Amino acid sequence: MAGADADANGTRTPESGALQRIFGSRRTRLAALLAPSGGLLVALLLAPLSFMVALSFARIGDAYEIIWEPSAANYAALFDGTPFWTTPFFQSLTLSIGVAAATTLVCLVTAFPVAYALARRERGRRIVLFLVLLPFFTMYLVRVYSWYLLFGEGGVLNDLAALLGVGPVGAFDFGIPAIVVGLAHAQFPYMLLTLYAGIDAVDFELVEAARDLGASRVAVFRDVLWPLTLPNVVAGSLFVFVPAFGAFVAPQFLSGSTVLMVGQLIAGRVESYNIASASAAATFVVVLVAVAFGVAVRYARLGASAGGEQ
Amino acid sequence: MTTHDDTASGARDGAGRGTVNRRSFLAAAGAAATTTALAGCIGGGSDTPTLNVITWEHYARDDVVEAVESAVDVNLEITKSTSSADMFSGWQSGQDEQYDIAVPNNNYVPRFAEAGLVEPAPLDDLDNYPNIYEKFQEFTDGQLSVDGTPYGVPIRFGFYGYGYDSRDVPEHEESWSVLFEGVDGVDLNGKVALYDNHFKAMTAAALHLGYNDAFEGDRITLSESQLEKVKSVLVDQKQSLLSSYIAGDASFVKGIKKGDFHVGHSGRMNLTNMWIDGNDWVEMATPKEGSMSWFEAAVVSKQTDHSDLAWEVIDEYIAPESGATLAREGHAPSVNPQTSEHLSERRNELYGSIDPSRLDGMIPFKAVENEDAWRSVWEEVKTA
Amino acid sequence: MAATTRGRLLSYALTGWTAVVLAFLWVPLVFIVALSVAENASTLFPFEGLTLAHYRATLADEELLRSVANSFSIATLAAAAATAVGVPGSVALVRYDFPLSGAFRVAVVLPMVVPGVVLGIGLLIYLRTVLDVTPGFVPTVLTHAVYGLPFVVLLVSARLAAFDESLEEAARDLGASPLEAFRDVTLPAVAPAVAAGFLFAWIRSFEEFVRAYFVSGTTDVLTTTMYAMLAYGTAPRLNVIATLVLLVLAVVLAVAMNVGDVVGAVTAGE
Repeated sequence: MAGADADANGTRTPESGALQRIFGSRRTRLAALLAPSGGLLVALLLAPLSFMVALSFARIGDAYEIIWEPSAANYAALFDGTPFWTTPFFQSLTLSIGVAAATTLVCLVTAFPVAYALARRERGRRIVLFLVLLPFFTMYLVRVYSWYLLFGEGGVLNDLAALLGVGPVGAFDFGIPAIVVGLAHAQFPYMLLTLYAGIDAVDFELVEAARDLGASRVAVFRDVLWPLTLPNVVAGSLFVFVPAFGAFVAPQFLSGSTVLMVGQLIAGRVESYNIASASAAATFVVVLVAVAFGVAVRYARLGASAGGEQ
Repeated sequence: MTTHDDTASGARDGAGRGTVNRRSFLAAAGAAATTTALAGCIGGGSDTPTLNVITWEHYARDDVVEAVESAVDVNLEITKSTSSADMFSGWQSGQDEQYDIAVPNNNYVPRFAEAGLVEPAPLDDLDNYPNIYEKFQEFTDGQLSVDGTPYGVPIRFGFYGYGYDSRDVPEHEESWSVLFEGVDGVDLNGKVALYDNHFKAMTAAALHLGYNDAFEGDRITLSESQLEKVKSVLVDQKQSLLSSYIAGDASFVKGIKKGDFHVGHSGRMNLTNMWIDGNDWVEMATPKEGSMSWFEAAVVSKQTDHSDLAWEVIDEYIAPESGATLAREGHAPSVNPQTSEHLSERRNELYGSIDPSRLDGMIPFKAVENEDAWRSVWEEVKTA
Repeated sequence: MAATTRGRLLSYALTGWTAVVLAFLWVPLVFIVALSVAENASTLFPFEGLTLAHYRATLADEELLRSVANSFSIATLAAAAATAVGVPGSVALVRYDFPLSGAFRVAVVLPMVVPGVVLGIGLLIYLRTVLDVTPGFVPTVLTHAVYGLPFVVLLVSARLAAFDESLEEAARDLGASPLEAFRDVTLPAVAPAVAAGFLFAWIRSFEEFVRAYFVSGTTDVLTTTMYAMLAYGTAPRLNVIATLVLLVLAVVLAVAMNVGDVVGAVTAGE
């Protein structure tokens, strides 16, 4: 792809004034193409993140002013416990990782067969995709609210269980299972669409051939389908894991506020204007996510069906 | 003993802020920096200035807005908030330029003052201020002042206790300990709700532990060992009796109706609302250690262009008639006893008229000494 | 014989599983729609009858409708901005080899992977302390434009990469300027992806809560208004708004899927 326009000063026809100047040379053309998105990203993504990193080394004074005296105290405080894993930050971090991992697993296991069915069958594909996409486009807050009414000891799920003569069912209480359900519901389409793109691209003649040669279904899945779709599995998992990891609304409503995930912890610190310690926690989280992302990028084809809950 | 006495309360320091203001779309679409100026033109269509107020939902009710606008020549743009902490961090992040008035809970007033966000209260210029309960005038000179200068004016108040479902919980000696130890002979495991607010939950635990001394003075002070004790009581409660931490009024009403919990930390306002809706099975308890009482206090931004007008509006909030309207909307009494003349007998009985002796027994919310330590304890409880 | 029986069973199982998953996805939506016409708007048990009262109350709620209008404007402007800057950016990514192109690629995806809480808070403090900008309408539009950017770039660059560039070459050989060649040949070919990118960016902005919560200031958007409704417990209107939004989106999505092959653009990313 590169070098397709490599003809320096590649104007082949005379062009009018300004446009010619802008699009005249390859370099200025590139600059004109990159400047808008690059500028937006620098001004509203990289700059705030950099500022947040800087703030994580500052502290907040008695009159709630920012005091720029570089120190790593905010980071030290994140792990200042005996032993260090007892600090609220560490606890909320591990909880977030656990919840996000469970959410990812639920999405992967439920989405894979559906993605396979979608890719292998022409009939009904559009209607199924429509039925998948529509909930996905519905407002996240509303879906969380809906789960909030469904779960809980006196929630609709338990009412139903009571009608059937069972329960109350502990799993229908507010708590971590409810959070996982709410998050999995929100993130499921990202996983499904990413997997579908991968499975759809698989050459099924290969699969048929392996079957004809006597390979079992399990063997075909293990040796052919899974390796071929692994990049999509990784990409889909990333797009489920990261937003679930940073979730903030779902854990608040679906746990009865009895847990503190790391997004909630950070937001709480901002609310009390501990913005320096909030920045330290947030920086730590971003670095963790960036590392996970970097590792995943090496394996995954970051396809189009990508996104984030929050 | 169960009492439907003359307490009232608002419990709105919940999980977050919601801004539902009436700022016109045009103003919003304009450059953010000029919105305040634009709102002045668009809001009135005349020379009537517009004041932006961030406060609790009841102040945004049409009756209250109209009462104030007809008494003072002003347009009010009310933004509803659900949290004093959010009001503070919002102003500290620049919203002090967008708002003229905020009405946080009393314990946040010193914070606004210390951060240099608000101007001193010109108490002598306020016509209705001399008429408010003496107790609240003392509070103004005490906990609402920084270095002897008052910064806020009390508006409404109320009491906190807990509400319970009398179908599941029998009459009992009312005490904060019920929230932490339950009631003899009743299985309340997983059936108790506390506020999802470090200040409210921790003060309840402190009163249960008998730390009443901590509430003397202009700040609440808990020693390090007392904070440790508060933490362990809350952690134990979380692992046994707790059903959930509730974000605000709505969650209390919804939760106790759904049966998620039978005993819930609450202000009287919630119960008044439920009684009016016919839920007579819910009872309000007044703990023997003393009710925590909240009050709201109005502050004026240093950045305002309409300082005099802003204080006029605040004065109107505690005027006999407008104050009564506000009390009616929120089921919470005004700090001005003259408002009870404008309330019906039934309303006075429910919340409007307060026996001054009750005020002497109340334990007022106050700013906390060492707020950061309280916050850390709360984080530890939440992650326990 | 046994093999085909098993194959058929497997096929039934796949169908069944798909149905179960679809049911799971639709439970909350059906529930909300049902509540929007239920007398008692917070639970179906006990069911107390049908009513349109919540719809009347919602359509009479000026503040709520204004926040819908705000969200609509913000989403439209943000998606337009994301598309306007994202399409040239995609061309640069696909057609040019430049230093830091890897970094640019990562930066474009970053808005999707930085947790909303972190970015929202970072932006708020940064806007205030560094730029001295007050939170409000314009900052929300720009924040959402950044949030929508990855959707546009990923979709458009995938389609661009699959596009046969020699067609554009040919047009230029025939005398078209690079700009004309792009406009007349390449753009029509990638238009479905551009439309899909716009649609995704629009929807993401419209339903985005956490970032708006921090940077919208005194401008009410639908999600922050809804959050306040949850806190104050005036949820009946929330069910109604959600139902109406669902209906509108169903129509838009159906049209987009039939006219623009959005699904193709979304899933044919490789």
